Amino acid sequence: MHHKILFTGPVGAGKTTAIAAISDTTPVATEARARDRTRLLKPHTTVAMDYGVMELEGGEKVHLYGTPGQPRFDFMWEILAEGGLGIVLLIDNSAPDAMYRLRQFLRVFAEVIERTRLVVGVTKMDLAPQPTLADYLRRLSSAGIRAPVLEADARSPRDVALLVEALLYCIDPGIGGADP
Amino acid sequence: MRAEQLHAILRKLNAASGEVEAAAIVSTDGLVMASYIPEGIDDDRLGAMSAAMLSLGERAAMELGRGELEQVLVKGRDGFIILIHAGRDAVLTVLTSRTARLGLIFLDVKRTAAEIARLI
Repeated sequence: MHHKILFTGPVGAGKTTAIAAISDTTPVATEARARDRTRLLKPHTTVAMDYGVMELEGGEKVHLYGTPGQPRFDFMWEILAEGGLGIVLLIDNSAPDAMYRLRQFLRVFAEVIERTRLVVGVTKMDLAPQPTLADYLRRLSSAGIRAPVLEADARSPRDVALLVEALLYCIDPGIGGADP
Repeated sequence: MRAEQLHAILRKLNAASGEVEAAAIVSTDGLVMASYIPEGIDDDRLGAMSAAMLSLGERAAMELGRGELEQVLVKGRDGFIILIHAGRDAVLTVLTSRTARLGLIFLDVKRTAAEIARLI
């Protein structure tokens, strides 16, 4: 059985890093040297997509796709969102516009989120404790969205696996792991 | 000014071949450095799409044992898109008509890319 999950979110949130952290195979990344404001954050940026695979107990495979973060690549958001089980939305809490980015991505992916599922992973909370997870939950709630919000370090295989499991659990509590 | 020189190179390519309908020089992260494109084509889109396609083409060529990428060619009903590296950090994107003679266009495009690479 094959499943697909999309990792999306603003620039620097940790999408490429997260997929690399949990992919069982060497992930495909499409990074180029950043020349716009992104370069103030990091030297490279994804320009097409990331791709990795995670194998669950029972042999099921989860195909992990990552999008670029800049809005000029939003055609990739559309392309990559097709046919997925749900979205892992990563938000960089240390960015000054974290909440704005959450709202932006909720808006852009509204239809996909409604049809499928969402998990929000808040990264870099060690660098910036505000906004809090409760703030994110409140924001989702006022948008009428029920979704788990977890703190995550995108470099940590355990944290990222938890995000994926949370998403899969939302969809079907029987998928990939011990029954509740 | 470099932007003007790049623009001049694109104008020259356009003039050299009646079948080139648009041309742009784009950074590998999708930002347009110079463009010679008609109304109706969004150059920001062209920039981002060029970077995405070139990058995927590069990965595919390597991973599927085709060697270092030389170009990406897209054939549409109404014409072609040719993507080629112009130096390590830039992409030359060329849009041609349906009736373009690719062999000749490829030569022009390669020469133009080399000229751009020397400049940037």
